[in-house]
Formats: sequence, C-alpha cells, structure tokens
Amino acid sequence: MIGRYRALRRAGLLGINERNVRLVNELNPRRLIRLVDDKRETKRLANAANIPTPELYGVIANPFHMRHLESYLDKPDGVVIKPANGSQGNGIQVLMEPMRGGWRRSNGQRALLEDIRFHVNNILSGMYSLSGQPDVAMFEYRVKFDEIFNPISFGGVPDIRIIVVRGIPAVAMVRLPTAESDGKANLHKGGVGVGLDLVTGKTLSGMQNGKTTDIHPDTANPLRNFSVPHWDTMLEMAAKAYDVTGLGYLGADIVLDKTKGPLLLELNARPGLAIQVANRIGIRPLLNATLKADIEGMDALARVELAKKLYRNHVPEPTF
Amino acid sequence: MNSFTHTRLLALLLAAIGLGIFATKVLQLDYPMTPGERTTTWDFEIYLDFDTSNQPVRLETYIPSNSENRRVSQEQFYNGAFGLRLNSREGDGRTAIWTYRYPNDRKVLRYRARLLGETTESPLPESMQRKLRRAAPETENDLERQAFLVWSTDLRRRSADDESLADLVLEEIFVDGDVDEVEALLSPTLARPIARLALARDVLTSQGIPARVANGVYLDSARRRAEIRHWLEYYADGMDRRYFPGPDPSEFFTIWHGTNDFIRAEGISDLDLQVSLQPVNADVSDVVQRMAKDQGSAMQWFSFNRLPITTQLVYQVLVTIPVGILMLVFLRQFIGLQTLGTFMPVLIGIAFRETALVNGVILFTALIALGLAVRFYLEKLKLLLVPRLATVVVFIVICMAVIAQIMANNGQRIGLSISLFPMVILTMTIERMSIAWEEYSATEAIKQGIGSLLVAAAAYLVMTNTHVEYLMFNFPELLLVIMAICLMMGKYTGLRLSELIRFRELDDRK
Repeated sequence: MIGRYRALRRAGLLGINERNVRLVNELNPRRLIRLVDDKRETKRLANAANIPTPELYGVIANPFHMRHLESYLDKPDGVVIKPANGSQGNGIQVLMEPMRGGWRRSNGQRALLEDIRFHVNNILSGMYSLSGQPDVAMFEYRVKFDEIFNPISFGGVPDIRIIVVRGIPAVAMVRLPTAESDGKANLHKGGVGVGLDLVTGKTLSGMQNGKTTDIHPDTANPLRNFSVPHWDTMLEMAAKAYDVTGLGYLGADIVLDKTKGPLLLELNARPGLAIQVANRIGIRPLLNATLKADIEGMDALARVELAKKLYRNHVPEPTF
Repeated sequence: MNSFTHTRLLALLLAAIGLGIFATKVLQLDYPMTPGERTTTWDFEIYLDFDTSNQPVRLETYIPSNSENRRVSQEQFYNGAFGLRLNSREGDGRTAIWTYRYPNDRKVLRYRARLLGETTESPLPESMQRKLRRAAPETENDLERQAFLVWSTDLRRRSADDESLADLVLEEIFVDGDVDEVEALLSPTLARPIARLALARDVLTSQGIPARVANGVYLDSARRRAEIRHWLEYYADGMDRRYFPGPDPSEFFTIWHGTNDFIRAEGISDLDLQVSLQPVNADVSDVVQRMAKDQGSAMQWFSFNRLPITTQLVYQVLVTIPVGILMLVFLRQFIGLQTLGTFMPVLIGIAFRETALVNGVILFTALIALGLAVRFYLEKLKLLLVPRLATVVVFIVICMAVIAQIMANNGQRIGLSISLFPMVILTMTIERMSIAWEEYSATEAIKQGIGSLLVAAAAYLVMTNTHVEYLMFNFPELLLVIMAICLMMGKYTGLRLSELIRFRELDDRK
C-alpha cells in the first residue's frame, strides 16, 4: 500500500485532493465558475471571442416556452437537447433525425414527442443541474463529426478534452464513445480515453474504465497514431477560453465537425484526472512548470507555443 | 502569507486554545477523563402498584435524601391523581406521603431519582461520634429488663473495651444462632433481621456505644427488584463502624434510619412494591459539576450542565455530530469513499440513533429498495420532479406506518423508533440514487449507496461511543480541536486510498 503510494507519487500523479486545493481553489474563483456552469453563458463568451460553437436553435426556460418545442425539434439534421447547468454529460439527449411518429435517438431507438417533453420538463425542474436548481433546456446543432475517428469509435460523437492551466494547454486526450458508453464520450460511462501528444496532436495509448488499452474495445482497431486534424486551431481555442473566462484551471471540450471544423462544446471548471491514465503520465511535474511559467503579456498563440515547449520538456516525442 | 501557512496557524491557534482549556480542566480541576472513572451514579425507582376500593388512601414511604456522603438528584414523582406531600422527619429520614380520598381500581405511583452512593469509608454524622452514658433500656416488663441486664453485664465482663464488646454482641446475636437470651429478647413485633439489629442497637446503646439501625439499598448491580437492606452503624473506640448482616457491600445508599417500615399504607390492598436500580456509567456530569463548584472554578461559565435537563439531552447529541462529520471528512478525503450527498451519511447516522445500528441498516436498505422500486415505476408515468418526489415521500410514510404496525403486533420496539427516522433524508437518498442509477450505472449507484451506509455506520459508531459522548459533552472546547483538524484536512494534497486503485496503471514498479 505504502509502496504503491510512493510509486504513484514518484510517477508525478496528481490526486483529487491536490487538484481541488492547488488548482480549483487557487485558480478558479467561485464567481468565474458560474460562467462555465451555465452553457448559454459559455457560448455567449466564446462567440464574442470568435471561438466557434454549435449553433443554438433555442432555449426553453419555462413551461410557457414549451409551445416552441416542436419548432426547435423540426430540423432535418437532428438536434441536441441539453440542460444549461448540467454536469458530466448528464441529461443530454441526441436526436439524429425525425422519423415516423417521433425522432431517432443516437442509439437508434425512437423518441416520442411525449418522451421529449418529459425529458425537457425534467431538465426544467432541475433534475440534472448541479444543485437541483430549476434549469433551462438548450436546443443545439447536432454535430456531424469528422470521419477521422470512425475506425476507433462506436456510435456517438468523439470529443477532444484539453486541460488548460493559466491559459497554457497542458495535457489532452480524445474521448471515444463505445457500445458500453451508449454513444456518449464520457469516460465514467465506459468511453475510451486516448492520450494525445500535445505538440503533434497524435493519438498515443488509451484507457477504458481505469485500465489501459491499446485497441478500441468494439472495433478492435489500434488506437495509436491517428493525427487529429486542425490540432493547432484546437489548442488556440482552448488557450483563448482562458482569456474569456479567466479560469486558471479548465477543461475545454471540443468536437470536430465534418464541415464546420472544431467547435467548442463546453468548458469545465473541474476537469477530472483520468486523463493521466489515458496519457500514462503523472502530470504534477508538468503542472508545476506550467504554474511557474511567466505568461505576462502573452496572447493565446504565444501561450500555445510555450505549452508545446513545456510539454516536450517533460514528455518525449512519441515513436511509432 | 500564503493560504497554507495561514491555515496552519489558524489550526494551531484553535487546537492550542481547545487543548489548553481541556488540559486545565483535566489536570487542575481533576475532571475525570472517562465516564465512570471515579464514580457511578444509579437510577433508582420505587414503583408502587396497588388496589383501591373507594376508601381514602394514605401511603407513606421513605425516599432517599441528601447528606454529606450521599447525593440525590433529578428527582421525579409520578403521582397520577394523588396528592403529594414531602416530609423531612427529624432523625430517621425523608418521606413522601401520597393521599387520595376516593380512588378506584388499580393505581400506580412512582418515584425516580439518581443516586450517588456512599461506601464503608464514609464517615458517620458528628452527632453519633461521642460516647453515651451507660443506661439500661426502658422495657415494659421487669423480667425482660432483668434478663437484658444479666446478659449485657455478662458480655461486658467478657470483653476488654468497646470494640471487643461490640464484636461480642454482634457475634452472639448474628452468628451464634441459638443463644437463648437473644431469642427471648428479640422484639416480637419486628421482622427477624430488623429485630436482631434493633436488639444489637439496644445492647450497644445501653453500654454507652452510639448505634443505630440503617436501611437502604446496596448499589452493586442493576436490579429490577432490589431488596431493602438493613444494617447497623455504631461508633466504638473513636472509629466509625458498620455491621452488615451478610457480605459487605462496596457501595450502598441509606434511605432511612430506625426500625420503621419502609412503607405505611392505609386503605389499599394487594400492594406490589418494586425497587429497581440501574447503574449510569456514562453520565457523571452532576458529579463533575459538584467538583467544579467546590473549587469555585472559572470553567463553570461554559458548561452544558447548567442547562435544563431536556436541553442537555439535545446538546449531548448535538456535540457529537462534529465527531461524526470528522469521520466523514476523513473517509471522503483520505479513503475516498463515495457517498450520496455530502452530509447525508451523517444525517443517516443520526437517524440510526433511534433504531440502533443493525435494525437501522436493515430498515434503511429495505426502505431505499422499496422507494427505488416506486421511483422507477413512477418514471414510466412521466411525472414532474416535485410531485414525483412528493409521491415517494408519501409512499415512504406509508411503508413506515405499515412497518410500525407489524412491529407493534409482534411486540417489537423498533417499530416505534422508526417513526422518527427522517423520511425526507430517505427520499432525497432515493432520488439521488436513482439519478446515479440512470445517469451512471447500477453499479455506481449501489457503490455510492454502500459508501453512504458505511460512512453512516462509522459516523453512528463514533457518535454513540460513550467516551466520545462524555468527552464532547463535558469538554466542549474539543470542538475547537475538531475544527483545527478539519482545517488541516482541508489542505491535504496527498492521494486518496481509492486513487491508489484508480491509478494503479501508473504504478511504474514492475
């Protein structure tokens, strides 16, 4: 037990307690966290800073707005319904396209209008919000994800998580949906997390349910050596997210749309630590260097360059 | 000053204040550190159950009273419709007189008190500590008087001093069962054991040795029917002495002196008298209180013992909650147990007080399972959140009512206690658990549920520990120390035990 503790410390593992004390509490003031807890606010800030996000079709904030429901749902390409204050992907429903008597969900099942209304009501009554407060339902453009990840994903939308510390991207991974995760990319639901080399944007090794893996569990294709397109744009988007929110520790979730390129899905003020297992590194030494770095007067692009330098100091170039 | 130093200084300050007061109390004022370390108090009850028949009733019974050596507190009388009068009788003790003019049917009277007893070391009152003049007792007939004189003179001749005389008297009366003079002299109106004691008293007094018969209870073990005991107290050769027929008790309580009956009753029949004793180890607060008072201590100004007893009981529970919370913080921050809600497990732990642990866990699990079933059923009806929660609350109340009925039919007490089980907590637990069930997985929900139960059980165990209860209640300054520990834990940046498993893949030892 003590041996394991020492070994993990030696590997530079960052634990939840330390994350909360040194990163969240120190770098993320409460009043700023509000900005990313409400996804409408995040979207507004991002758009103002020219960070592209999925188009917002409309919101339902009270039962009176419910009469707009059908017009919001009336999109041939489908729509995503999410709670504005949801956490960890809870309460998100993806409707692929209209079908006879209802809409097709991402898992292929049919959702009736009644089901959708119930779901929206649940969102409004605060079932998925962080503190059970009444919430707002958002209707968004459904991302048609780039096919690059098709060999290593199963249903649903893969997304890219970049952890940014003081505006400097520090570590990244791509999260792939699996049969087990029901088309969602969340790791705790059984999605696969694959580490990304921060400099090149190439996939490294992966993990699922806390165990390392080198192949996708459903497609059995190796996870290594995929290059994420628009990688530098994504890094810049993530770095800019710091400028618009002021959060010193944040996780930027980005999806890659077939036609619109990278879109910022949401920001997270308390991103999790499983990314360390996906990358098979402990990020403490890198974080310490990032926390010490002088970023006075640097814009997002300069910080991305700095990030690549710091990252390469700690993590060697991958060899495939 | 960075926040780490700041926190440490604050924690140090709080701990220093708390421990400082604690040390003063323990070292200087001699507060006992553990419950019942010095002394035990006893719950004492006189229970009278009798038939009445529309005649005026007068019932007089001796009740415990205070003296230098013994203490009565928290007295309670359960009179029903009876009138109650207390009477302090000079020389023999205190009585309670219950009266009622037209009673009917069976009646019950009770007297309860908390006793702090005396030991054989306790001194006799000063009035007994002087030699008397020798005088023959007054008896009705000369023959008896003559026999008494002959016998006592004989005893006196065979002894050297007061002490040996007393020993000889007691030997003849209690040990050598067949001394003719003794048999002849025993009072015919008194019961045997008291008659012998009365005779011994008379002989000793006639020889100038102060003596009296004492009556009371032995404080040796919990008894539902304790016997009223009788013994002799006398003062010989400058020493306080007691003679107990049978083995000496280590602790006892004198209720009255003399040879009167414990109870005198008129107008009743079929009296059932029950005297019960129950040791109270955990609570010596009134003892502690007295000790502090004796020393005129400044620590007195903040003490829960000054509050009314009902309020004290509330605080007795309240001050243990921080200890439960400390347990919870430890299990969450250091072990990494996952729970439903932040403080929910502690609330569940408090609820376990009413039901005891095993019953509590069973009931909790059963109710959660039933509630979850209803919750999943209601899911199909697609109700709004708040009405759905309300439905679950009502269902839980019905379940609890049904359980209470079943238990009452089986004569079990846990049915009664469960009605105080906080159902809102249960409902919120069900709701959180069902969300975890849907949004994560059944395993995750069950894991969190079990985590909550574990934390609740741990919190319950520390909160109901008698030492913890005693320490927190009598040394509330320890709350500052708990606060200091919480502050320090708030800056713990090490790994959690659960993370050792979660990140096992990063263990580079091969």
